Amino acid sequence: MMPTDPTPSPYDQDPIISFSNVKKAFGPKVIYEDCTLDIYPGETITIIGGSGTGKSVTLKMLIGLLSADSGSIKAFGTEVTHLAEPKLLPIRRRVAMLFQGAALFDSLTVAQNIKYPLREHRWGNEKKLDERVAEVLEMVGLPGSQNLKPSALSGGMRKRVGLARAIAIEPEVILYDEPTTGLDPINVRRINGLILSLQKKLNVTSIVVTHDMDACFTFTDRIALLHNRRFSFVGTQDEARASPDRYLQEFIAGGKGTLDEDVE
Amino acid sequence: MKAVLNLIAYLGALAKLSAQTLAAFIRPPWELRSLIYQLDSSGIGSWSITVLTAIFTGMVLALQFSSGLKDYGASMYTGKLVSLGIVRELGPVLTALLVGGRVGSGFAAELGSMAVTEQIDAIRALGADPVKKLVAPRVIACMIALPLLTVLADLIGCFGGMIITVQEVGVTPRFFYSQVVETLGIVDLLHGLGKSVFFGYTIGITGCFVGMNTTGGTEGVGLSTTKAVVASAIGVLVSDFLLTKLFIALYG
Repeated sequence: MMPTDPTPSPYDQDPIISFSNVKKAFGPKVIYEDCTLDIYPGETITIIGGSGTGKSVTLKMLIGLLSADSGSIKAFGTEVTHLAEPKLLPIRRRVAMLFQGAALFDSLTVAQNIKYPLREHRWGNEKKLDERVAEVLEMVGLPGSQNLKPSALSGGMRKRVGLARAIAIEPEVILYDEPTTGLDPINVRRINGLILSLQKKLNVTSIVVTHDMDACFTFTDRIALLHNRRFSFVGTQDEARASPDRYLQEFIAGGKGTLDEDVE
Repeated sequence: MKAVLNLIAYLGALAKLSAQTLAAFIRPPWELRSLIYQLDSSGIGSWSITVLTAIFTGMVLALQFSSGLKDYGASMYTGKLVSLGIVRELGPVLTALLVGGRVGSGFAAELGSMAVTEQIDAIRALGADPVKKLVAPRVIACMIALPLLTVLADLIGCFGGMIITVQEVGVTPRFFYSQVVETLGIVDLLHGLGKSVFFGYTIGITGCFVGMNTTGGTEGVGLSTTKAVVASAIGVLVSDFLLTKLFIALYG
Protein backbone atom coordinates (compact mmCIF):
# COMPACT_ATOMS: atom_id res chain seq x y z
CA MET A 1 0.00 0.00 0.00
CA MET A 2 3.01 2.32 0.44
CA PRO A 3 3.82 4.35 -2.68
CA THR A 4 7.36 3.88 -3.92
CA ASP A 5 8.11 7.41 -5.20
CA PRO A 6 10.93 9.18 -3.32
CA THR A 7 9.04 12.48 -2.67
CA PRO A 8 8.12 13.04 1.00
CA SER A 9 5.19 10.78 1.58
CA PRO A 10 2.20 11.36 3.82
CA TYR A 11 2.09 7.61 4.42
CA ASP A 12 5.09 7.75 6.75
CA GLN A 13 2.99 9.74 9.22
CA ASP A 14 0.27 8.45 11.48
CA PRO A 15 -3.15 8.33 9.80
CA ILE A 16 -5.38 11.30 10.72
CA ILE A 17 -8.49 9.27 10.18
CA SER A 18 -8.89 5.57 10.67
CA PHE A 19 -11.83 3.24 10.40
CA SER A 20 -11.32 -0.13 12.01
CA ASN A 21 -13.72 -3.06 11.90
CA VAL A 22 -16.67 -0.73 11.48
CA LYS A 23 -20.07 -2.32 11.22
CA LYS A 24 -23.20 -0.46 10.16
CA ALA A 25 -26.69 -1.59 9.27
CA PHE A 26 -29.96 0.20 8.56
CA GLY A 27 -32.58 -2.15 9.92
CA PRO A 28 -32.06 -5.49 8.18
CA LYS A 29 -29.85 -3.95 5.47
CA VAL A 30 -26.18 -4.39 6.34
CA ILE A 31 -24.02 -1.64 4.80
CA TYR A 32 -20.64 -2.47 6.34
CA GLU A 33 -19.57 -5.71 7.87
CA ASP A 34 -15.92 -5.17 8.59
CA CYS A 35 -14.74 -1.90 7.18
CA THR A 36 -11.15 -0.84 7.74
CA LEU A 37 -9.44 2.16 6.16
CA ASP A 38 -6.63 4.53 7.14
CA ILE A 39 -6.39 8.03 5.72
CA TYR A 40 -3.14 9.98 5.87
CA PRO A 41 -2.65 13.74 6.17
CA GLY A 42 -2.47 15.63 2.88
CA GLU A 43 -3.56 12.77 0.63
CA THR A 44 -6.56 12.58 -1.68
CA ILE A 45 -8.40 9.31 -1.46
CA THR A 46 -11.34 8.37 -3.65
CA ILE A 47 -13.99 5.95 -2.49
CA ILE A 48 -15.63 4.14 -5.39
CA GLY A 49 -18.33 1.49 -5.43
CA GLY A 50 -21.72 0.71 -6.91
CA SER A 51 -24.80 2.80 -6.25
CA GLY A 52 -26.45 2.09 -2.93
CA THR A 53 -23.38 0.43 -1.38
CA GLY A 54 -23.23 3.17 1.24
CA LYS A 55 -20.26 5.23 0.15
CA SER A 56 -21.76 8.41 1.58
CA VAL A 57 -22.37 6.59 4.86
CA THR A 58 -18.57 6.48 5.35
CA LEU A 59 -18.40 10.26 5.17
CA LYS A 60 -21.41 10.77 7.42
CA MET A 61 -20.12 8.40 10.08
CA LEU A 62 -16.83 10.25 10.13
CA ILE A 63 -18.39 13.54 11.26
CA GLY A 64 -20.97 11.87 13.47
CA LEU A 65 -24.05 12.47 11.30
CA LEU A 66 -24.59 8.71 11.49
CA SER A 67 -23.21 6.46 14.17
CA ALA A 68 -21.51 3.13 13.60
CA ASP A 69 -23.04 0.03 15.17
CA SER A 70 -19.67 -1.30 16.27
CA GLY A 71 -15.97 -0.89 15.57
CA SER A 72 -13.94 2.27 15.88
CA ILE A 73 -13.63 5.48 13.88
CA LYS A 74 -10.84 7.81 14.91
CA ALA A 75 -10.32 11.34 13.66
CA PHE A 76 -7.25 13.28 14.85
CA GLY A 77 -6.75 10.65 17.51
CA THR A 78 -10.26 11.11 18.95
CA GLU A 79 -12.75 8.26 18.95
CA VAL A 80 -15.78 9.61 17.05
CA THR A 81 -18.21 6.74 17.48
CA HIS A 82 -20.91 7.50 20.05
CA LEU A 83 -19.45 10.90 20.86
CA ALA A 84 -22.07 13.31 22.23
CA GLU A 85 -23.13 16.06 19.81
CA PRO A 86 -21.33 18.99 21.56
CA LYS A 87 -18.09 17.01 21.68
CA LEU A 88 -18.25 16.51 17.91
CA LEU A 89 -17.92 20.27 17.37
CA PRO A 90 -14.09 20.35 17.38
CA ILE A 91 -14.08 17.56 14.77
CA ARG A 92 -16.61 19.36 12.61
CA ARG A 93 -14.47 22.49 12.83
CA ARG A 94 -11.63 20.56 11.18
CA VAL A 95 -13.60 18.35 8.80
CA ALA A 96 -15.93 20.00 6.27
CA MET A 97 -18.34 18.24 3.97
CA LEU A 98 -19.66 19.08 0.53
CA PHE A 99 -23.08 17.43 0.31
CA GLN A 100 -24.36 15.69 -2.80
CA GLY A 101 -27.04 18.29 -3.57
CA ALA A 102 -24.92 21.06 -2.00
CA ALA A 103 -27.55 21.32 0.81
CA LEU A 104 -27.59 25.12 0.72
CA PHE A 105 -30.15 26.74 3.01
CA ASP A 106 -32.92 27.93 0.68
CA SER A 107 -34.06 30.73 2.95
CA LEU A 108 -30.63 32.34 3.16
CA THR A 109 -28.55 34.22 0.57
CA VAL A 110 -25.22 32.91 -0.70
CA ALA A 111 -23.33 35.17 1.71
CA GLN A 112 -25.50 34.12 4.69
CA ASN A 113 -24.99 30.47 3.76
CA ILE A 114 -21.21 30.89 3.83
CA LYS A 115 -21.33 32.90 7.06
CA TYR A 116 -23.33 30.15 8.79
CA PRO A 117 -20.37 27.93 9.78
CA LEU A 118 -18.20 31.00 10.39
CA ARG A 119 -20.70 32.31 12.96
CA GLU A 120 -21.08 28.90 14.62
CA HIS A 121 -17.34 28.62 15.03
CA ARG A 122 -16.97 32.29 16.08
CA TRP A 123 -14.76 33.38 13.20
CA GLY A 124 -14.84 37.10 14.00
CA ASN A 125 -16.77 40.31 13.55
CA GLU A 126 -19.09 41.10 10.64
CA LYS A 127 -16.33 42.82 8.64
CA LYS A 128 -14.10 39.77 8.91
CA LEU A 129 -17.00 37.54 7.85
CA ASP A 130 -17.66 39.69 4.76
CA GLU A 131 -13.98 39.53 3.84
CA ARG A 132 -13.91 35.77 4.22
CA VAL A 133 -17.08 35.35 2.14
CA ALA A 134 -15.59 37.44 -0.69
CA GLU A 135 -12.36 35.48 -0.46
CA VAL A 136 -13.91 32.00 -0.72
CA LEU A 137 -16.34 33.06 -3.47
CA GLU A 138 -13.34 34.31 -5.42
CA MET A 139 -11.67 30.91 -4.90
CA VAL A 140 -14.62 29.00 -6.36
CA GLY A 141 -14.97 31.46 -9.24
CA LEU A 142 -18.22 33.14 -8.18
CA PRO A 143 -17.17 36.63 -7.06
CA GLY A 144 -20.02 39.09 -6.48
CA SER A 145 -22.74 36.47 -6.02
CA GLN A 146 -23.16 37.28 -2.29
CA ASN A 147 -26.76 38.44 -2.45
CA LEU A 148 -28.23 35.74 -4.69
CA LYS A 149 -30.65 33.18 -3.28
CA PRO A 150 -29.80 29.48 -3.89
CA SER A 151 -32.97 29.13 -6.00
CA ALA A 152 -31.42 31.53 -8.53
CA LEU A 153 -28.32 29.37 -8.98
CA SER A 154 -27.66 26.55 -11.44
CA GLY A 155 -26.66 23.07 -10.22
CA GLY A 156 -22.98 23.71 -10.83
CA MET A 157 -23.08 27.09 -9.11
CA ARG A 158 -24.86 25.58 -6.09
CA LYS A 159 -22.09 22.97 -5.80
CA ARG A 160 -19.48 25.69 -5.95
CA VAL A 161 -21.25 27.76 -3.27
CA GLY A 162 -21.50 24.57 -1.20
CA LEU A 163 -17.77 24.13 -1.64
CA ALA A 164 -17.16 27.77 -0.66
CA ARG A 165 -19.24 27.20 2.50
CA ALA A 166 -17.26 24.02 3.27
CA ILE A 167 -13.83 25.63 2.90
CA ALA A 168 -14.78 28.88 4.67
CA ILE A 169 -13.64 27.69 8.11
CA GLU A 170 -10.31 26.45 6.68
CA PRO A 171 -10.87 22.77 7.35
CA GLU A 172 -8.02 20.29 7.38
CA VAL A 173 -10.10 17.57 5.79
CA ILE A 174 -12.76 18.03 3.09
CA LEU A 175 -15.30 15.31 2.36
CA TYR A 176 -16.81 15.41 -1.11
CA ASP A 177 -20.05 13.46 -1.59
CA GLU A 178 -20.40 12.87 -5.33
CA PRO A 179 -19.18 16.37 -6.21
CA THR A 180 -19.84 16.07 -9.95
CA THR A 181 -22.92 13.84 -10.17
CA GLY A 182 -25.60 15.33 -12.39
CA LEU A 183 -23.48 18.19 -13.74
CA ASP A 184 -22.69 19.02 -17.35
CA PRO A 185 -19.14 18.28 -18.64
CA ILE A 186 -17.96 21.88 -18.27
CA ASN A 187 -19.06 22.05 -14.66
CA VAL A 188 -17.60 18.59 -13.99
CA ARG A 189 -14.23 19.86 -15.22
CA ARG A 190 -14.54 23.03 -13.21
CA ILE A 191 -15.39 21.20 -9.95
CA ASN A 192 -12.62 18.65 -10.48
CA GLY A 193 -10.22 21.53 -11.15
CA LEU A 194 -11.33 23.13 -7.90
CA ILE A 195 -10.77 19.94 -5.92
CA LEU A 196 -7.28 19.69 -7.37
CA SER A 197 -6.40 23.34 -6.77
CA LEU A 198 -7.75 23.34 -3.20
CA GLN A 199 -5.67 20.29 -2.59
CA LYS A 200 -2.54 22.08 -3.88
CA LYS A 201 -3.22 25.53 -2.37
CA LEU A 202 -4.52 24.56 1.05
CA ASN A 203 -2.83 21.18 1.39
CA VAL A 204 -6.03 19.67 2.74
CA THR A 205 -6.76 15.98 3.03
CA SER A 206 -9.59 15.10 0.68
CA ILE A 207 -11.94 12.15 0.75
CA VAL A 208 -13.98 11.97 -2.43
CA VAL A 209 -16.94 9.70 -3.06
CA THR A 210 -17.60 9.45 -6.78
CA HIS A 211 -18.67 7.34 -9.75
CA ASP A 212 -16.61 9.42 -12.14
CA MET A 213 -13.50 7.29 -12.83
CA ASP A 214 -11.92 9.79 -15.27
CA ALA A 215 -12.05 12.52 -12.65
CA CYS A 216 -10.87 10.13 -10.00
CA PHE A 217 -7.68 9.40 -11.94
CA THR A 218 -6.94 13.11 -12.45
CA PHE A 219 -6.70 14.00 -8.78
CA THR A 220 -6.58 10.98 -6.54
CA ASP A 221 -3.57 9.57 -4.72
CA ARG A 222 -5.28 6.40 -3.62
CA ILE A 223 -8.46 4.54 -4.47
CA ALA A 224 -10.64 2.55 -2.09
CA LEU A 225 -13.22 0.21 -3.56
CA LEU A 226 -16.31 -0.54 -1.51
CA HIS A 227 -17.57 -3.96 -2.46
CA ASN A 228 -19.33 -6.72 -0.54
CA ARG A 229 -19.77 -4.52 2.55
CA ARG A 230 -16.04 -3.85 2.99
CA PHE A 231 -13.16 -2.04 1.35
CA SER A 232 -12.05 -4.86 -0.91
CA PHE A 233 -9.24 -2.85 -2.44
CA VAL A 234 -7.23 0.12 -1.17
CA GLY A 235 -4.19 1.32 -3.10
CA THR A 236 -2.57 3.83 -5.45
CA GLN A 237 -3.65 4.42 -9.04
CA ASP A 238 -0.88 2.15 -10.34
CA GLU A 239 -1.74 -0.56 -7.88
CA ALA A 240 -5.38 -0.27 -8.91
CA ARG A 241 -4.53 -0.72 -12.59
CA ALA A 242 -2.32 -3.70 -11.80
CA SER A 243 -4.75 -5.35 -9.42
CA PRO A 244 -6.18 -8.74 -10.39
CA ASP A 245 -9.50 -7.83 -8.72
CA ARG A 246 -12.06 -8.37 -11.48
CA TYR A 247 -14.71 -6.11 -10.00
CA LEU A 248 -12.17 -3.30 -9.63
CA GLN A 249 -11.03 -3.73 -13.24
CA GLU A 250 -14.62 -3.53 -14.41
CA PHE A 251 -15.02 -0.33 -12.42
CA ILE A 252 -11.87 1.19 -13.88
CA ALA A 253 -12.77 0.23 -17.42
CA GLY A 254 -16.13 1.89 -16.90
CA GLY A 255 -19.32 0.76 -18.57
CA LYS A 256 -17.53 -0.55 -21.66
CA GLY A 257 -15.88 -3.60 -20.15
CA THR A 258 -19.04 -4.87 -18.55
CA LEU A 259 -21.10 -4.29 -21.69
CA ASP A 260 -18.67 -6.29 -23.85
CA GLU A 261 -18.78 -9.14 -21.42
CA ASP A 262 -22.55 -8.99 -21.31
CA VAL A 263 -22.64 -9.23 -25.12
CA GLU A 264 -20.29 -12.22 -25.12
CA MET B 1 -48.10 -6.17 18.87
CA LYS B 2 -45.89 -4.41 16.33
CA ALA B 3 -48.22 -1.41 16.35
CA VAL B 4 -47.88 -1.16 20.13
CA LEU B 5 -44.08 -1.34 19.90
CA ASN B 6 -44.11 1.31 17.18
CA LEU B 7 -46.27 3.56 19.34
CA ILE B 8 -43.90 3.14 22.28
CA ALA B 9 -40.89 3.86 20.05
CA TYR B 10 -42.65 6.95 18.66
CA LEU B 11 -43.51 8.27 22.12
CA GLY B 12 -39.96 7.59 23.28
CA ALA B 13 -38.45 9.48 20.35
CA LEU B 14 -40.92 12.33 20.94
CA ALA B 15 -39.89 12.48 24.61
CA LYS B 16 -36.23 12.60 23.60
CA LEU B 17 -36.84 15.45 21.18
CA SER B 18 -38.83 17.25 23.90
CA ALA B 19 -35.92 16.93 26.31
CA GLN B 20 -33.51 18.28 23.68
CA THR B 21 -35.89 21.16 22.96
CA LEU B 22 -36.12 21.99 26.65
CA ALA B 23 -32.32 21.89 26.91
CA ALA B 24 -32.02 24.19 23.89
CA PHE B 25 -34.58 26.54 25.43
CA ILE B 26 -32.78 26.73 28.77
CA ARG B 27 -29.30 27.27 27.37
CA PRO B 28 -28.57 30.59 25.67
CA PRO B 29 -27.98 31.90 23.04
CA TRP B 30 -31.63 31.88 22.00
CA GLU B 31 -32.77 32.08 18.44
CA LEU B 32 -34.91 35.16 19.10
CA ARG B 33 -35.13 36.28 15.49
CA SER B 34 -36.38 32.86 14.48
CA LEU B 35 -38.84 32.78 17.38
CA ILE B 36 -40.34 36.13 16.38
CA TYR B 37 -40.60 35.00 12.77
CA GLN B 38 -42.42 31.82 13.85
CA LEU B 39 -44.74 33.75 16.18
CA ASP B 40 -45.69 35.91 13.24
CA SER B 41 -46.15 33.17 10.65
CA SER B 42 -47.67 30.49 12.90
CA GLY B 43 -49.47 32.67 15.45
CA ILE B 44 -50.58 35.88 13.82
CA GLY B 45 -50.97 34.05 10.52
CA SER B 46 -53.58 31.78 12.12
CA TRP B 47 -55.93 34.49 13.41
CA SER B 48 -58.34 34.30 10.48
CA ILE B 49 -59.03 30.57 10.68
CA THR B 50 -59.34 30.92 14.45
CA VAL B 51 -61.97 33.66 14.12
CA LEU B 52 -63.88 31.74 11.45
CA THR B 53 -63.92 28.52 13.46
CA ALA B 54 -64.90 30.27 16.68
CA ILE B 55 -67.76 32.37 15.31
CA PHE B 56 -69.45 29.41 13.65
CA THR B 57 -68.93 27.18 16.66
CA GLY B 58 -70.50 29.79 18.93
CA MET B 59 -73.44 30.26 16.57
CA VAL B 60 -74.08 26.53 16.18
CA LEU B 61 -73.87 25.93 19.92
CA ALA B 62 -76.40 28.71 20.48
CA LEU B 63 -78.75 27.20 17.89
CA GLN B 64 -78.53 23.74 19.43
CA PHE B 65 -78.88 24.81 23.05
CA SER B 66 -81.67 27.31 22.44
CA SER B 67 -83.81 24.73 20.65
CA GLY B 68 -82.89 21.95 23.08
CA LEU B 69 -83.64 24.06 26.18
CA LYS B 70 -86.97 25.26 24.75
CA ASP B 71 -88.64 21.98 25.82
CA TYR B 72 -87.81 22.81 29.43
CA GLY B 73 -88.65 26.47 29.03
CA ALA B 74 -85.08 27.31 29.84
CA SER B 75 -83.82 28.68 26.53
CA MET B 76 -83.03 32.04 28.13
CA TYR B 77 -80.11 30.30 29.85
CA THR B 78 -78.46 29.48 26.50
CA GLY B 79 -75.71 32.01 27.23
CA LYS B 80 -74.53 30.06 30.28
CA LEU B 81 -74.09 26.82 28.37
CA VAL B 82 -72.61 28.38 25.24
CA SER B 83 -69.96 30.34 27.13
CA LEU B 84 -69.04 27.42 29.35
CA GLY B 85 -68.77 25.03 26.38
CA ILE B 86 -66.64 27.44 24.39
CA VAL B 87 -64.27 28.60 27.10
CA ARG B 88 -63.67 25.23 28.74
CA GLU B 89 -63.70 22.94 25.75
CA LEU B 90 -64.45 23.95 22.18
CA GLY B 91 -62.41 27.17 22.07
CA PRO B 92 -59.10 25.50 22.95
CA VAL B 93 -59.74 22.18 21.19
CA LEU B 94 -61.11 23.41 17.87
CA THR B 95 -58.45 26.12 17.69
CA ALA B 96 -55.78 23.49 18.33
CA LEU B 97 -57.19 21.15 15.69
CA LEU B 98 -57.41 23.88 13.04
CA VAL B 99 -54.09 25.53 13.87
CA GLY B 100 -52.55 22.06 14.14
CA GLY B 101 -53.66 21.33 10.59
CA ARG B 102 -52.34 24.61 9.29
CA VAL B 103 -49.11 24.98 11.27
CA GLY B 104 -48.19 21.34 11.94
CA SER B 105 -48.37 20.44 8.26
CA GLY B 106 -46.28 23.51 7.46
CA PHE B 107 -43.56 22.47 9.93
CA ALA B 108 -43.56 18.90 8.62
CA ALA B 109 -43.32 20.03 4.99
CA GLU B 110 -40.61 22.60 5.65
CA LEU B 111 -38.40 20.46 7.89
CA GLY B 112 -39.18 17.41 5.74
CA SER B 113 -37.88 19.16 2.62
CA MET B 114 -34.79 20.22 4.57
CA ALA B 115 -34.26 16.64 5.73
CA VAL B 116 -34.48 15.05 2.28
CA THR B 117 -32.17 17.66 0.74
CA GLU B 118 -29.62 17.02 3.53
CA GLN B 119 -29.98 20.57 4.89
CA ILE B 120 -30.52 19.24 8.41
CA ASP B 121 -27.35 17.15 8.10
CA ALA B 122 -25.65 20.29 6.79
CA ILE B 123 -26.68 22.28 9.88
CA ARG B 124 -25.06 19.64 12.06
CA ALA B 125 -22.01 19.34 9.82
CA LEU B 126 -21.50 23.12 9.98
CA GLY B 127 -21.36 22.95 13.75
CA ALA B 128 -24.89 23.97 14.74
CA ASP B 129 -27.71 22.15 16.50
CA PRO B 130 -30.86 21.64 14.39
CA VAL B 131 -33.01 21.29 17.53
CA LYS B 132 -31.87 24.71 18.70
CA LYS B 133 -32.07 26.30 15.26
CA LEU B 134 -35.29 24.76 13.97
CA VAL B 135 -37.30 22.89 16.59
CA ALA B 136 -37.10 25.08 19.71
CA PRO B 137 -38.27 28.33 18.05
CA ARG B 138 -41.22 26.54 16.43
CA VAL B 139 -42.36 24.67 19.53
CA ILE B 140 -42.05 27.72 21.78
CA ALA B 141 -43.85 29.92 19.24
CA CYS B 142 -46.75 27.43 19.25
CA MET B 143 -46.84 27.33 23.05
CA ILE B 144 -47.07 31.13 23.17
CA ALA B 145 -49.43 31.56 20.21
CA LEU B 146 -52.02 28.89 21.02
CA PRO B 147 -53.25 30.37 24.36
CA LEU B 148 -53.47 33.81 22.75
CA LEU B 149 -55.43 32.43 19.81
CA THR B 150 -57.63 30.58 22.31
CA VAL B 151 -58.48 33.85 24.09
CA LEU B 152 -59.44 35.25 20.71
CA ALA B 153 -61.54 32.16 19.97
CA ASP B 154 -63.28 32.44 23.38
CA LEU B 155 -64.23 36.06 22.74
CA ILE B 156 -65.39 35.53 19.17
CA GLY B 157 -67.20 32.29 20.06
CA CYS B 158 -69.21 33.98 22.81
CA PHE B 159 -69.92 36.86 20.45
CA GLY B 160 -71.27 34.43 17.81
CA GLY B 161 -73.37 32.74 20.50
CA MET B 162 -74.76 36.12 21.52
CA ILE B 163 -75.87 37.04 18.00
CA ILE B 164 -77.85 33.83 17.61
CA THR B 165 -79.25 33.78 21.15
CA VAL B 166 -80.47 37.36 20.78
CA GLN B 167 -82.17 36.43 17.51
CA GLU B 168 -83.57 33.02 18.38
CA VAL B 169 -84.49 33.43 22.04
CA GLY B 170 -85.12 37.15 22.10
CA VAL B 171 -82.93 38.05 25.11
CA THR B 172 -81.06 41.35 25.11
CA PRO B 173 -77.30 41.40 24.49
CA ARG B 174 -76.88 42.85 27.99
CA PHE B 175 -78.72 39.87 29.53
CA PHE B 176 -76.56 37.44 27.53
CA TYR B 177 -73.43 39.29 28.68
CA SER B 178 -74.44 39.25 32.33
CA GLN B 179 -75.11 35.50 32.14
CA VAL B 180 -71.68 34.90 30.62
CA VAL B 181 -69.93 36.96 33.29
CA GLU B 182 -71.97 35.28 36.03
CA THR B 183 -71.20 31.78 34.77
CA LEU B 184 -67.52 31.98 33.94
CA GLY B 185 -64.94 31.97 36.69
CA ILE B 186 -61.20 32.44 36.37
CA VAL B 187 -60.85 28.67 36.83
CA ASP B 188 -62.84 28.04 33.64
CA LEU B 189 -60.60 30.38 31.67
CA LEU B 190 -57.41 28.89 33.08
CA HIS B 191 -58.75 25.39 32.47
CA GLY B 192 -59.00 26.18 28.74
CA LEU B 193 -55.79 28.18 28.50
CA GLY B 194 -53.77 25.60 30.42
CA LYS B 195 -54.84 22.97 27.95
CA SER B 196 -54.02 25.20 25.00
CA VAL B 197 -50.39 25.66 26.12
CA PHE B 198 -50.07 21.90 26.08
CA PHE B 199 -51.83 21.65 22.71
CA GLY B 200 -49.34 24.18 21.31
CA TYR B 201 -46.51 21.98 22.51
CA THR B 202 -48.16 18.88 20.97
CA ILE B 203 -48.67 20.57 17.59
CA GLY B 204 -45.14 22.01 17.47
CA ILE B 205 -43.24 18.94 18.60
CA THR B 206 -45.24 16.55 16.40
CA GLY B 207 -44.82 18.65 13.24
CA CYS B 208 -41.09 19.11 13.86
CA PHE B 209 -40.49 15.48 14.81
CA VAL B 210 -42.29 14.08 11.78
CA GLY B 211 -40.57 16.62 9.51
CA MET B 212 -37.05 15.97 10.81
CA ASN B 213 -37.48 12.22 10.38
CA THR B 214 -38.67 12.42 6.79
CA THR B 215 -37.08 10.02 4.32
CA GLY B 216 -37.87 9.08 0.75
CA GLY B 217 -37.64 12.28 -1.27
CA THR B 218 -40.57 14.45 -2.28
CA GLU B 219 -43.01 11.57 -1.80
CA GLY B 220 -41.79 11.29 1.77
CA VAL B 221 -42.44 15.00 2.33
CA GLY B 222 -46.05 14.52 1.24
CA LEU B 223 -46.51 11.54 3.54
CA SER B 224 -44.94 13.42 6.43
CA THR B 225 -47.32 16.33 5.99
CA THR B 226 -50.34 14.04 6.23
CA LYS B 227 -48.83 12.13 9.12
CA ALA B 228 -48.12 15.33 11.07
CA VAL B 229 -51.73 16.53 10.78
CA VAL B 230 -53.20 13.18 11.82
CA ALA B 231 -50.71 12.65 14.65
CA SER B 232 -51.14 16.15 16.06
CA ALA B 233 -54.96 15.85 15.92
CA ILE B 234 -54.83 12.54 17.78
CA GLY B 235 -52.36 14.05 20.24
CA VAL B 236 -54.67 17.00 20.88
CA LEU B 237 -57.77 14.84 21.36
CA VAL B 238 -56.13 12.29 23.65
CA SER B 239 -54.33 14.87 25.74
CA ASP B 240 -57.54 16.92 25.95
CA PHE B 241 -59.29 14.04 27.64
CA LEU B 242 -56.44 13.41 30.06
CA LEU B 243 -55.92 17.08 30.87
CA THR B 244 -59.65 17.67 31.39
CA LYS B 245 -59.75 14.75 33.78
CA LEU B 246 -56.76 16.19 35.61
CA PHE B 247 -58.12 19.75 35.80
CA ILE B 248 -61.51 18.58 37.01
CA ALA B 249 -59.85 16.43 39.67
CA LEU B 250 -57.79 19.43 40.78
CA TYR B 251 -60.29 22.30 40.60
CA GLY B 252 -63.67 20.79 39.92
